[in-house]
Order: sequence, then structure tokens, then C-alpha cells
Amino acid sequence: MKEGVLRIFVVVVFVVLVARLFVIQIVDGSYKTAAENNALRYEVLYPPRGEVLDRNGEFIIQSREAYDLMVVPRDMEAFDTLLLCRIVDVPLPRMRSQLKRAAAYSQRRPSVVVPQLSKETKLLLDELRIAGFYTVYRTVRSYPRKIAGNLLGYVNEVNTADLERDDYYRSGDYIGRSGIEGAYEEHLRGDKGVKVNMVDVHGIVKGSYGDGVYDTLPVAGRTLTSSLDAGLQALAEELMAGKVGSVVAIEPSTGEILVMANGPTYDPDELVGRERGNNYARLANDNLRPMWNRAVQAPYPPGSTFKMVNALIGLEEDVLKPDYMYECNLGYHFGNLSVACHPHWSPLDLRGAIMTSCNAYFCYVLRNILDKPSYGGIMRGGYDNWADKVRSFGFGQKLGTDFLGEREGNVYGSGYYDDLYRGRWNSLTVLSLAIGQGELGCTPLQMANFAAIIANRGHYFIPHVIKEIEGVAMDRKFFEPHYAGVAPEHFESVVDGMYMAAHEDGGTVKTYGMVPGLDICGKTGTAQNPHGQDHSVFLGFAPRDNPRIAIYVYVENGGFGASVAVPVGSLIMEQYLTGAISRPHLVEYLKEKKINYPHYDRQI
Amino acid sequence: MTGRYDRAEVIHGRVDWATVAIWLLLVALGWLNLYAAVYDETRGAFDFASRYGMQLIWIGAALVVALVVMLVDDKFCHILAYPIYGIFLVLMLSTLVLSPEIKGARAWLMMGPVAIQPAEFMKFGMSLALARLMSNFGFSLGRPIDFLRVMVVLLVPVGVMFLQHDVGSAVVYASFLFMFYREGLWRWIYIVLGIVVGLFFGSFWVTDTGLLILILLGCCFGFGFTFRNWRAPLIYLAILALVSVSGWIVLNGVGFEWRYYWVLLGSALVSLPVVVGAAYARRLRGFWVYVVMFLGSLAFVSAADIVFDSLDLHQQKRILDTLGVESDARGWGYNVNQSKIAIGSGGLLGKGYLEGTQTKFHFVPEQSTDFIFCTVGEEWGFVGSVVVLGLFCVLILRLVRMGERCQEPFGRIYCYSVAGIFLMHVLINVGMTVGLVPVIGIPLPFFSYGGSSFMAFTLLLVVAVRLDLGSGDIEASRING
Repeated sequence: MKEGVLRIFVVVVFVVLVARLFVIQIVDGSYKTAAENNALRYEVLYPPRGEVLDRNGEFIIQSREAYDLMVVPRDMEAFDTLLLCRIVDVPLPRMRSQLKRAAAYSQRRPSVVVPQLSKETKLLLDELRIAGFYTVYRTVRSYPRKIAGNLLGYVNEVNTADLERDDYYRSGDYIGRSGIEGAYEEHLRGDKGVKVNMVDVHGIVKGSYGDGVYDTLPVAGRTLTSSLDAGLQALAEELMAGKVGSVVAIEPSTGEILVMANGPTYDPDELVGRERGNNYARLANDNLRPMWNRAVQAPYPPGSTFKMVNALIGLEEDVLKPDYMYECNLGYHFGNLSVACHPHWSPLDLRGAIMTSCNAYFCYVLRNILDKPSYGGIMRGGYDNWADKVRSFGFGQKLGTDFLGEREGNVYGSGYYDDLYRGRWNSLTVLSLAIGQGELGCTPLQMANFAAIIANRGHYFIPHVIKEIEGVAMDRKFFEPHYAGVAPEHFESVVDGMYMAAHEDGGTVKTYGMVPGLDICGKTGTAQNPHGQDHSVFLGFAPRDNPRIAIYVYVENGGFGASVAVPVGSLIMEQYLTGAISRPHLVEYLKEKKINYPHYDRQI
Repeated sequence: MTGRYDRAEVIHGRVDWATVAIWLLLVALGWLNLYAAVYDETRGAFDFASRYGMQLIWIGAALVVALVVMLVDDKFCHILAYPIYGIFLVLMLSTLVLSPEIKGARAWLMMGPVAIQPAEFMKFGMSLALARLMSNFGFSLGRPIDFLRVMVVLLVPVGVMFLQHDVGSAVVYASFLFMFYREGLWRWIYIVLGIVVGLFFGSFWVTDTGLLILILLGCCFGFGFTFRNWRAPLIYLAILALVSVSGWIVLNGVGFEWRYYWVLLGSALVSLPVVVGAAYARRLRGFWVYVVMFLGSLAFVSAADIVFDSLDLHQQKRILDTLGVESDARGWGYNVNQSKIAIGSGGLLGKGYLEGTQTKFHFVPEQSTDFIFCTVGEEWGFVGSVVVLGLFCVLILRLVRMGERCQEPFGRIYCYSVAGIFLMHVLINVGMTVGLVPVIGIPLPFFSYGGSSFMAFTLLLVVAVRLDLGSGDIEASRING
């Protein structure tokens, strides 16, 4: 009896399932509206990609309407190929190869034949109604100011790795690849929608299926507000024309990046549209490597701009007081080792040493730090203590910015020297670290951040380029101060020295750097390198109290810091703080100034 | 004759070869179908790294396991029942801590390159453990302490599955109700459960008017069945229909544009005291059951409706989501609709092997796992679907028969458990692809991609076949032979 009931139950369950199948497969015709089984076409509705504004509300990345011509090879019939080629302006052989490729990819799945057509072309094509072809709405990028190529990044088609990693993407979709486009991809891309259309055998849309109940609307990508100042960025790029190097400016009180310019740079519009492939190849093969974001990837020797780091560590370690006087006899001499210096008065105190950029003074300072008796010697912790303090300023590590490609730079531990010198080394061996040379690599971003630390008297906020995401809170980490391992009271004498450098006769920054009323503080650098002329470097901030801008300028092989980097930095600060330039001749001079880089050609 | 016997030979003679044949047929069809679902004309030829390649490896492993099970003594099932249950319970608990989150559920355990899902194997462990427990001498489901023991064995793993957010797997355990019925669980539980589930799903498919009519018909049918009196309910229904329809027409005529639902509901409620009075006068004992049933059903439906409708769309989705109904970025109806289009477009004979279009475009999500039946429906059509379902039906009926054939309660309980599990999986999986059952992500035995479920279903089935063979028979054949 019981098993009888259960048997009947089993049979009833299966009868119900079969009945249901009978209804949807045989009785109900709505699932196969047309004679052919291609009655429904699922059209992906692409959302417009999010746009990016600069800090003043000016567009730096915009989305422009465009249409891709798609083909479903199976639905194709004989058509006037020449006419199609004329409308979309593609040569016949290319059209043929595209169609062949689409057929090889899939007979049933749509492929892109011609990307990024204008609206006029799309309307023409819609009128023609060629079986198997249709257009879909896409957006392409445009860059109204044509600035900051490396920082903004570019967008290209997804590859197989992307398809496997994230099922948001379908073949032919676009994805942000580098810079802001890459880092904020998930905010910028938006949500795709889908439209289910009924299509007849000729591929002509007969209306929406089920009155659109199954359709969803695309949701546009979020608008981002960048901390960049588009005008300032454009000025920096103009000033860097013809030179290789980098400019980074930060608002010290927030860590917002105002300028991140590289020389050479490229017009981001070049990486959009049909010429993209050719332009990309040209840029990638350029000896000067315009697509290398030097600002965050080049580990440059900082030269004399690093002297403040040693000064601050010396003060914190109590091996240096601002009024300590050291002698300089055209350099630092110990045994047969010499670090040369340029002529200036002697002896001098810390302020004077920063103002004149005395090499000898900082050799004394570094040796006192490394050989501080309480550590019991350089190899027992004196060096590593120094290296840890250096890292507390953000050197030798990624700062954790919000865009892709940041590099660590180099600050080595004592183990490195143990290996290099087989355990036989002392403070004289590493003396070049005193003046920012030797085994030291700092990216311009890290150095600009260091400028911000001095400006803030001891702390920084992680530098970032996006300050607002539409409808979403920013990551908290950008609002939390990070403290360098040096107490705030030690900064004042260093700031004094930097102020004197820009304001007193004999100061390295004064000639091209001083702008009356702006209270600029700065420090030059002249970094030696194996590639010919010295690199020209400038680190500064302004005004002296409550600074609003901190800047770092690096011009490869530019010569003395004072000759190129200082005027570039000074002009950018002046433009930002006053909204005007009082020395237009200097702008013209810098724009015209070209530096030759024979060693880049040799590298290839 | 000689006292020697060849074990393999004896097994050969007694095995339920029909079941084995159906199993092998389902495995073969399942793999061919998986190949079609994953098949991509843009890819090259056979590829072991693909899903059908992986599945082939699992099939090979399962065949080996099946052979081993057939060759060991069936007493091991008895002895190992609790240890197996225990091991899988520990593995499930460890997933809570160790496993990565995949699609919102922590159910997978990474063992080197393979991810196994202990919940799938738990069905096997549970069937053994329940068979062991319930075949104890003197066990009775009617005794509270025994009932409690069964509930503990059953609900501990189910609780863990809820903690894993793996509601789909947990729902499958309702399938043990099938076996409990055979073992004499109280009948009323099934009636109440049936009504509640029926009304719940009913409220998703039929209009409120349809549901009200069904409830009325159900009560009248129950009444007629209980009191062997078909005239009274028929007359009652006729009068009710006449009054409500004419009343509705008249009301509409005078300008009250009420829906028929309200008129019918009003008529039924007004008639209620009359009917109760008449029944009371005739001393019909037990009549109250149907009155309670009628009012209870109405209350259940309207309460569920009112609560559900008062929520906004987003919260409704949440509830459907927590009920195990899948949530999807494009709305929760999307998957089912896609799946119905795919199956419906198959028609009578299907589009032909590897010729499906809907399933190829990835319109149906979870194509190779939960929604694998779409490919069957699309490519093999109504005829093919019925063949597949028919095979499952026969398989389940054979399991019931094997259960009845067992001399030991252990074997019977086990076979019924397996039958119930297969029935549940087929009902829910196929049911959801055709839109009969809410979307609950559980696999279709031998068809869905996934090593754990394939291995678990093989174990379930093969052990049933082994138990059916029985050890006593081998001894007997030795003596006789």
C-alpha cells in the first residue's frame, strides 16, 4: 500500500514535468516566434563610460557617442560590398579580411566589423538594412585638453585573460588598461543593459520581445573628479617640451596631486580610434619612451634635494643641531677620499649649508648618524636605523596611490652592502648617500611627497589623483595622515634653509626661483649620472606658512639644478598661487629649450 | 558439487542489470550533453582541460569506485555507516573555516587541484546513517525519542549548510520525507506540508481567483472523499458558481465593477455559516477539518501576499534570494526566462546535436551546471527530454523495487533514501528550468558538470545495487552451487 502510493507519486511527478515540457515545447509557440530559430536577438546596451573632471570642474576625459558595425555571419546574404565599404570608408580588401575573420570566429556570434563609426554613418547603415549587419551604441574616449596621457591611461579591447577573470566582459568590450582608466575601471565602466528583440529571417528587428519585460537599461559609469589642475598640467607639459624628465606637484594639506607631467608625453587622443594601432606602435618604439610614466616609475638619484632627509634624521638622532658649524674646503676630504664642493663661505651652519647646498656639511652629518656610538657601529644597526628613517618618508616603497604602475624605488638594507663589499665597509664607503647619490633611487612622486612632508612639518597624506567618485565614498586611507619618523620641531631650521636658498644672495634657488610675495622655499639638486650632463633637479613648496603647493622637478641631463628645474618649478608654483605668470620670457625660454639625449638612441 | 565459488561470477548473475544499464545510459547521455553545452566552435578539438574533459576523468574515477564497491562485502556499509557520516560532517564543518567563498557560498574544499563539495557526499553519508539508525531493532518513527534521533542526524548537516549559505543543498534533504513515508511517518504531516507547499507555489503561478477556486475544489473533494458523499459538495459548488457568476454579472450591470474574485470570496464566506449549520445538524464528525483547511488556506495565501506585496521590489528580490531563489544582475526572472526560451525553442524533435543556438550564446547562465537541462531540451527536443526523464523515472521506480526486495530493513531504507534523493534532484532541477519550481541551484544527476556531485550520485546508486545483491544471497549460492 505505502509503496504503491510512493510509486504513484513518482509517476505523477514525472507526468507533471512531461506535461510542462509538452506545453512549452509543443503547445506554446511564443518561444519560437519565427520559422527560423534565430527569432530573438540579444542586443547588449552599452553604458556610456564615466567621465573625468579636473579639480575646477573642467572635463579632462569625455565620452563621445560612436557606433560599432556588427555582423552575424550566418545571417549574411549577398549584398553590395562596395557600397558598404564606401559608407564606412574602409578599403575592400580590409573589409573582406574582417568578414573572413568574423566568420572564422563564429557563424552565430556577432563580431565587430568596423569600430567607432559616426552617428551619420550609423543612420545611413540603418536605412540600408543589410541582412546580418547591425550597429551598436558604444562610447569612445576624447580628451579635450590633450594632457597627461600616461596618468589618464588608455582604453582598449579586452583580451582572453580579461574574459576569463571577470564575466562582466564579452569579446569586443573595452577595458581601461592603465592610469586612471585602469585603476578606476570598475567605477567607470557602468552596468550593461540588454534588449531582447524579435528579429525576422532577414535580420530586421520586428519589435521588442515580451513588451520589453526582459530588457534592462544600462547604467552609466560614474563621474570621477580628479585632483589635477588641467591648466597647470598643460603649463607643466609645455615647459617640459623637448626635455626628458618629470614634474609632480601635490597639495600638502590633502595629498591631492595637482600636476603629474612627464617629458616626453603624448596626446591621449592618439590612442583612440582607427589610428590607435599605428600610433601605439610608434609610441612604443620611440627611443625616449613617452609611454613610460617616469613620475612614478623612474628611480632617479635625487642628488642634493636628498640632503634635507639627512639633515632631518641627524636632528632627530640628536647628532646634529641647527647651529653646528662645519668647515668646507672645496669639499670633504678624508684620507685619499674626497667629495668635491663648489666655492662658498666657510664654516657654515645647517641653514647656510642648505642655502648653499654644501656637500661637505652633509658628509659630516651622514657620518655622525651612521657612526652614532649608541648603535655600536655602522654594521650593527647604525646604517639600518638610517635606512628605516629614510623609509619612514615613503622612500623605497610604494606609497599606495590610486593609479596603476607605481614603483618602489631603491633604499637598500645593510645586507646589500655586506654582500657587495664582503662585510668590509664603513661610513666612508657609503658617503655618497650624504648628497643623494650612490645606491639610491627615488621616484619623482616620492620626492614630491617628501616636499609635502617638509611643507606639513612632518606628515603626509597618500598622494592621489581622484578626489571624488560620484555616489561612492573614497577610500579612508587617503584621509589618514602618515607620520615620518622625525618630530615636527626639527623641520623649522630646514625650512629656514630652504627659504634662504630662494631669498638670500648666494642662495641656489634665488636667481630663477624667487617670486616676490610668494615666500617660496626650495632646494636645487644637480645629480651626477653616467649618461653625460648632470640631471637638473628642484624640490620646493610655497608659501612658507600653510603651504598650498609642494613640487618636484626633474630634468634629465639639464645641467645645474638652478638652470632648468628651478625656473620650471617656480613658474608652476607662481601660476597656481597667483593665477598668472610674471615672467613670460622665462616661459618662452623654457619652451624653446631642447636637450639632446644621444644615450637614449644608443640604448636600443 | 565443488564448494568453491567465484565471487565475480555470482555477482554477475544477481546484479540488477537493468539499473546498471540505465545508469550507464544516463552517464553516456549526460556526457554527450555536457560536451554540447560547453562545445564552442571557435575552440579546437578535444581538450582535457575543458569541462567535458574533466568530467570524463571523473567518469573514469567513478567507474573504478563502482567496481570496488561491487566487490567488497556489503557488511561494510553497515559498519561504516556512522564513520562515513562523521567524516563528511567534519569535512563540512571545516569548509566553514577553510573554504574560499564561491558565488556567495562557502561549500567547496580545495584539495590540491580539485575542489570537492562535502555537502554532495553528505547525502550518501546521511542515507547510510539513517539506514543504520532506523534499522535498529525495535526502532519506530512513532516513538518520540527515535523521532528525535532521526531529526538530529538529519538537521545537524542541514544547519551547517545554512551556515555555508548553501540553501540549495539543504533543500534536497527534504527528499528523506519520501523514505520516511515508507517507514511510517504520520500521514497528516504530508497533507499539511503538501497544502502549504502547494499554496506557496500556487500563489506564484495562478491568479488569486484561480487559487480560490482550487482551494474550494480541494475542500469539497476532501469532504466527498471522507464522507463518501459526492452529491452534497457538487450541489454546493453548483449553487456557489451560479450565485457568484450571476451576482457578478448583475453587480457589473449596476455599475459596481468588482473583480470576480471578491464576489466569489464573498459568496463563499456568506455560505459558510449555512454549510456549517447543515453539517452540524447531520452530526458529521470531522467536518471541521475542512472548514479549518479552507479558512487556513485563505489566511495563508493572503498573509503571504500582503506581506510580500508590501515590500518593495528590491526587498522581494532579497527574500527570493534567501529562499534560495537565485538573484541575478538582470532581474531574478531572467535565468528562468532564458532557460524556457532555450527549451521551448527545441520543439518536438530538437535542433539536433551541437546545433543549439540559445545555449551557445551563453544566454542561459550556469549552462553546464544547474541549467544543463536546457541543452537537452533545445537540442533533443520534447522527444529527447521525455526519454531522459523516462530513464530517470524508471531508475527511481527500480530503486523502489530494489528496496522492497531487500530482506533487511537497512537495504530498504537506504534504497528508498536514494530514490527520494534522485526524485528531488530531478524534480527541482528540471522543474526550475521549465519554470515550475523556484530557482534552486542543485545539480541534475549525471548531467550537470561537477566531480563531487557525479561521484556522490554514483556512490549512492552503486551501493544500492550492492545492497540489493545482498550478502546472504552469495552465501546461499555457495551452498547451492
